[in-house]
Amino acid sequence: MNAPKPALPPVLQLEEVTRHRAGRPAVRGLTLSLQAGQVLGLLGVNGAGKSTTLAMIAGALRPDHGALRIQGTDFLEHPELARQAIGWLPETAPLWPELTVSEHLTAHGSLRGLSGLRLKQARTAILERLQLQDMGRRLAGVLSQGQRQRLGLACALLHRPALLVLDEPANALDPVQVVALRSLLRELAAEGTAVILSTHQLTEVTAVCDRVAILHEGALRHDAPLSADQHGALEKIFFDIAMDKASQRTQAA
Amino acid sequence: MTLLAVTRLELRRLFVRPLGWIIAALALAELGWRFALLLQIFLLNQVRLAALPDGPGYTDLVAVRLYSSLITGSPLPFGLIELALVLVPLLTMSTLASERGAGTLPLLFSTGLSASRILLGKYLAVMLWLTLWLLLALAVPVSLAHGVTLDWGKLAAATLGTFLALAVLAAIGVSCSAYASHPAVAAVAALMIGLALNCINLGAQLAGIRSGFINWLAMSTHQENLLRGLVSSADLVWFGLAIAVALALGTQHLAADRERG
Repeated sequence: MNAPKPALPPVLQLEEVTRHRAGRPAVRGLTLSLQAGQVLGLLGVNGAGKSTTLAMIAGALRPDHGALRIQGTDFLEHPELARQAIGWLPETAPLWPELTVSEHLTAHGSLRGLSGLRLKQARTAILERLQLQDMGRRLAGVLSQGQRQRLGLACALLHRPALLVLDEPANALDPVQVVALRSLLRELAAEGTAVILSTHQLTEVTAVCDRVAILHEGALRHDAPLSADQHGALEKIFFDIAMDKASQRTQAA
Repeated sequence: MTLLAVTRLELRRLFVRPLGWIIAALALAELGWRFALLLQIFLLNQVRLAALPDGPGYTDLVAVRLYSSLITGSPLPFGLIELALVLVPLLTMSTLASERGAGTLPLLFSTGLSASRILLGKYLAVMLWLTLWLLLALAVPVSLAHGVTLDWGKLAAATLGTFLALAVLAAIGVSCSAYASHPAVAAVAALMIGLALNCINLGAQLAGIRSGFINWLAMSTHQENLLRGLVSSADLVWFGLAIAVALALGTQHLAADRERG
């Protein structure tokens, strides 16, 4: 009789994570975990703490308190884990305008520990996957917003990370590209990549996510599985939480 | 490994930006002009100088003087070090300030690199570029080596002094770029600090004071010794300290930047 396989640790685990920004708590006591192959939609109004949360998960920002584990290892003790395990696309794709698309991928690959043949193969594969193969020699500075976003996504995916962190990835994409992005995310999830997707678009969440978390004033207010037919219910939950903020503001005034 | 990835990335950015090439080309053209003038002066005085016992030769009057006006005492165009005071800040201004502006700095942080490695990677790239520039400048006087008697020891000491001065200016430039939000602010700050460090002892010199802390503090004091062929550990320590202090301050600010988010 085969012994049961030991359960793999979650790809991402946040425990009581808190972070202050500009003197006020941007994220408060956030506890969350994500398994391989899951796609989590992170929702919240502007200023809810989504981008701060994603920046902490990506390793660009350290939490003030709390624990953050990537594949079971303390990420704060070993920030170098981010190099290989995480791919991050911030809200505005961070690019060097003077470098070409191909040079961006080379630079990102080197920074993430790829070199030689592995880097070359990874670059070719991701250019094809994101249909950027004709743009290899174009400067990032002359790309359209949608192309810049796709290049940012290519850089985040180049090293095949276990966790993909996306902040508003559909920004500036046309409807055809949005559909392509959705199918790409589903493919990645099927391959075992965990994805966190922050967006303002509820339709985006219901189309690709199997779980949704709602942040409000830095705190997690909702975390539950999601199916594609739950758009109406999700909209109600989201607005209930968002209006709570509105009513608090009215009372304060 | 990742430090070298930062260096490669920065070198690539330096190579594809026209600014680096324009700076290098203009500087080399100006140095060529200075070399021609120095050579002309040397040739005019060659017979008189040959009659002097232990009189200065090609190395003293042309090769070393290409590097700096510190010991020329004549109104010639700028030497390499005087040019570097202005041009190195232009070369370094974008290293970190533009990363901050383009939003690529958090991306570098997210690769798990420490602030010191990011800063050091950038610094190494600038130093590689400046070393190339220095070697091209050195090639000008050395190109006549077959026809003149070169004092290789003195030239090596002067080249070392110039290299160390470039290293200090680059460290100040990269550090200022770590502090600034805009490249232009970084350039102006680095220019002012470089100028101040180079001639902070000017008042003391004019008053005839040749020793003391103020003279020790000035880069020109230590640079002058090396340009005259005198390599002393005290001067080398000063350059090492200046580089370390500048890079440490830049690293500290970058690390604080990361904490602040």
